[in-house]
Amino acid sequence: MIMKKKLLEIRDRALSELDSLKNLDALEKFRIDYLGKKGHITSLMKNLGNIAREERPVFGKLANDLKDEITGILEKVIAEFKGKEEGGDKIDITLPGKRPLRGYLHPVNQVNSEICRILVRMGYTIVKGPNVELDYYNFEALNFPKDHPARDMQDTFYVSQNVVLRTHTSPMQIRVMEKQRPPVSIIAPGKVYRSDSDVSHTPMFHQVEGLLVDKGVTFGDLKGTLTSFVHQMFGSDIKLRFRPSFFPFTEPSAEVDIQCVICRGKGCRTCSFSGWQEILGSGMVDPAVYGFVDYDPEIYSGFAFGLGIERITMLKYGIDDIQLLFRNDMRFLKQF
Amino acid sequence: MKLSLNWLKEYVDINITPQELSHMLTMAGLEVEALEKIGDIHDKIIVAKVLSVKHHPRADRLSLCDVDTGTSTVQVVCGATNVKAGDLVPMALPGAELKGGIHIKESKLRGEFSGGMLMAEDELGLTDNHTGVMILPPEFETGLRLSDAINPLDWSLEINITPNRPDCASVIGIAREVAALTGQKLKLPGVQYREEGVPVSEVARVDVIDADGCPRYAAGMIQNVSIMPSPFWMRYRLYVSGVRSKNNIVDISNYILLETGQPLHTFDYDQLEEHRIVVARAKQGEKFTTLDGQERILNSEHLMICDGKKPVGIAGIMGGLNSEITDSSSNILIESAYFNPVTIRRGAKSAGISSEASYRFERGIDIEGVIFALKRALSLSLELAGGKINKGLIDLYPKKFEPPFIDLRVDKTNSFLGAEIKKGEMVQWLKALSMDVTEKDNNTLNVIPPTYRVDISREIDLVEEIARMHGYDNIPETFPAIRPNDKADLPSLQLHDRSCDILAGAGFSEIITFSFISPESANLLQAGENSPLRQFVKLMNPLTTEQSVMRTSLIPGLFSIVKENISHGEQNLKLFEWGEVFFKDDSKDLPIEKIMLAGVISGNYASKRWYSETRPVDFYDIKGAVEVLLESIGLSNITFERRISVEAYDKNSSCNICHGEIILGTMGKIAKEVLDGYDIKTSALFIFELDIENILKVKSGKIDFKPVGKYPAVFRDISIIVDKNVESKSVQDIIIKTGGSLLEYVDVVSVFEGEKFGPEKKAVSYRISFRSIEGTLDGEQVNCIIERVLDNIKAETGGTLSEG
Ligand SMILES: [Zn+2]
Repeated sequence: MIMKKKLLEIRDRALSELDSLKNLDALEKFRIDYLGKKGHITSLMKNLGNIAREERPVFGKLANDLKDEITGILEKVIAEFKGKEEGGDKIDITLPGKRPLRGYLHPVNQVNSEICRILVRMGYTIVKGPNVELDYYNFEALNFPKDHPARDMQDTFYVSQNVVLRTHTSPMQIRVMEKQRPPVSIIAPGKVYRSDSDVSHTPMFHQVEGLLVDKGVTFGDLKGTLTSFVHQMFGSDIKLRFRPSFFPFTEPSAEVDIQCVICRGKGCRTCSFSGWQEILGSGMVDPAVYGFVDYDPEIYSGFAFGLGIERITMLKYGIDDIQLLFRNDMRFLKQF
Repeated sequence: MKLSLNWLKEYVDINITPQELSHMLTMAGLEVEALEKIGDIHDKIIVAKVLSVKHHPRADRLSLCDVDTGTSTVQVVCGATNVKAGDLVPMALPGAELKGGIHIKESKLRGEFSGGMLMAEDELGLTDNHTGVMILPPEFETGLRLSDAINPLDWSLEINITPNRPDCASVIGIAREVAALTGQKLKLPGVQYREEGVPVSEVARVDVIDADGCPRYAAGMIQNVSIMPSPFWMRYRLYVSGVRSKNNIVDISNYILLETGQPLHTFDYDQLEEHRIVVARAKQGEKFTTLDGQERILNSEHLMICDGKKPVGIAGIMGGLNSEITDSSSNILIESAYFNPVTIRRGAKSAGISSEASYRFERGIDIEGVIFALKRALSLSLELAGGKINKGLIDLYPKKFEPPFIDLRVDKTNSFLGAEIKKGEMVQWLKALSMDVTEKDNNTLNVIPPTYRVDISREIDLVEEIARMHGYDNIPETFPAIRPNDKADLPSLQLHDRSCDILAGAGFSEIITFSFISPESANLLQAGENSPLRQFVKLMNPLTTEQSVMRTSLIPGLFSIVKENISHGEQNLKLFEWGEVFFKDDSKDLPIEKIMLAGVISGNYASKRWYSETRPVDFYDIKGAVEVLLESIGLSNITFERRISVEAYDKNSSCNICHGEIILGTMGKIAKEVLDGYDIKTSALFIFELDIENILKVKSGKIDFKPVGKYPAVFRDISIIVDKNVESKSVQDIIIKTGGSLLEYVDVVSVFEGEKFGPEKKAVSYRISFRSIEGTLDGEQVNCIIERVLDNIKAETGGTLSEG
């Protein structure tokens, strides 16, 4: 059975060779080598005369089986190669994608959401109040007496003698404390109005008010809270400073400046070469305010702060013209 | 307030740089908004002596001056007319650089040689004076550098004075703060002078009728003064402080106001009838012409300074034209008074005047500083205007001011600030601020603030002073323990966030527009006479008519932004706004505020792309957006009902968005006339408006989960030919009703109109899905249902199954 052994040898060689073939050309050569008219198997079969007659049919069958087996495997391998080499059509992956429609959220509202998210995570609850507000809430109960020069700090739109468009979100401090005993921890985002309109002012803009009143709240707590807020908003490497200031409804009052995000404190046009930019006003709630809501300042203390959202938006994105925020030009909105 | 650093240095030693000073003041609550170097004069500008002046032979307006520069005699062509031989003047030599980058060279002007330039004060950048070449004092040395002669090099500090600190609205006020912060001594200017002749009380008389409005009134007098321009140093300081120079006497009163914070008024004594001052309220309707030449109509809010017969000034606000100091004035009565802040504020508001004086009186000046300022003014007048100061002063001050007496608790201060400041440090700071401090007990300080600190009357005011002086930077940062509360978020906020996300995901961009609009918008929107759109909340003091009422609808805002974008060539728009609208409500103090959500689409659904053709937006685009939005916020059972009253919309393609009986909003196509009225250049706009309050009313926030069927669905497509006016929903309702519990959903697959169905007919195909949760449906069972569906459709709408 030498011939049979030879057949097995050819089979082993063919299978191992098939494994190493890299492309269709090589496969074609393989086909000719093994299955072609002068190929190994055909040549072997031509030598049929050399073997015993009675063994001839057995050998013929074995040889044909081998031929079929290799043909089968070869076809499969060729099919695989064809899949790899030609496959489906090669497509232009650089054509633009078939885009679903998308819209854009206004940058002021995106920043508003971000501010609220940070503060809500700290434990504050969001409240809302009216845009058209009583003088009492907007001024009087915030310790801006009638006929007091502090009222000049805010140019006010009047609806009637006692009704104004709120000039800040601070009235919400009173509205909340009036209804709720301490502890109070709220933020109040919303629109506010001032009757000035020039290159750097719009008659309407947005603020977020914050108020925390409880036993033992300190000025240090105010500093810690606002520092953490600024770091979360602008990055933990941004420097900030608390600067004494004046608001009728807080004492001590502090304005918070952050290192100019444009020049990183070196001084530039945007920060009028001071290296700092004012971003919020804050302070410890003035005892006079507690008088209006019947809280005892000997027991409770707290702090309040107000952020201008447009200002923070402009700093965050380096926008130099506030008017852009209200023009709602799609070329502008599409950048956010 | 603008302030000269050199001036400040007269009252306190400053051993730090201007930058350090700015920072120190800023961190103590006196924010320095601008710091600017001023009076920097080029080295090639010198003191020159004019030797002769003659006319330029070829130019009428020019003259030729021979000047001595200290080293040589040079000819200069000059355009000013005030120069005469013997004058000392500033001269820019060749090589000098002027403001604005001008280089001085030897040149020929109209054929005559000019070896430099004689300079006016504004050309030197010193003041805004351009009346002629600056004439320098005769004692200056010819040839000296001008910068050495007048030494104008200075820094200007612009300080933001908060309303609680009127005591800092003066050079001495700032000097006091600097002294307290640096531990230096305050050096006040002297007020010694020689008094001569008749006591002022014998030649003038003051009657204060309204003692409430005028708690203190003092006056002094100087006779035989010479009215003339002030010397350069004073004009320069006034200029740096932003005050115009007039004449020496008026300048002195302004100078003392800036120096001490005490507003003064100077009267021409000879113009005062009966040589008398009466302080009383104005008569209603009385007319009075103020210094600025404006006639004012007075009312009882105004406190007036009158002479024996007539008003001569509005107290603390502005003087009158009739008693103004003129070049011929000789005897001057100087007023130094304390007026009630509220009286002045009301008077100033009512007269519409805001002056340097009213600014300070409104905020409160130092009632104990009245005499110092008056004496200072008299002595300076004597120095600059000559004359003789009458003996004594008039001082009507019936009720002496009692400063507050405040207890400051050391432990309370520290627990409030979250700091550990020693009692000794507190005492030290308070004393530095000129407070009178005594220790009441180990924990309590008894404090009397100085009279100029009108902002300090309570313990908390002292706590602030301690914090400010100790330095906010030195108070450690801590974190409050916020106690959690169990309140859920405001439902409208959740809805807001979700709606914005859904709409943005559907291709809508968010806009924010102003809450005020033009009242004309109600007409443009074709609002009926009694329409809520006309219930405007009006502003008393709008900036423009276009922004004079609060919006009653978001549509005008959307329109204006659509218009704006179309003007930039952006036609395909999908915009939305979430915001308040306002309706006047006479029964309440405040108007009704409602939150609305509105959107608009225009142009094409999307731009043409390589994979898709474009098409104009239509009613079903806005409807689909509303459907997806409402579905996403958890609202089902929404119906769309044709509108009865139609404002702004095209009545054939608009509808109400309803949930049961409640109308959630409106949507549809904007009427052509409205588009034309707004001059919006687009073929069609589609709008939706949703009332958020109503949505929250019907929104349960709960989703009713239904089990997902395991067994396969069976689909059937039926195509019904029906009259064109049969609305799709009526057929769908029949399918749903007849389909019963096995019906999963029904959808409209196609709508065809065409010849083939007849002119009044259309073919509508529905895909119906059946599914049972109990088992695989039998086709026969479904066929039975379909049979019944077709029967019912035929019976109720006349529609028949299309055989094609
Ligand atoms: Zn900068």
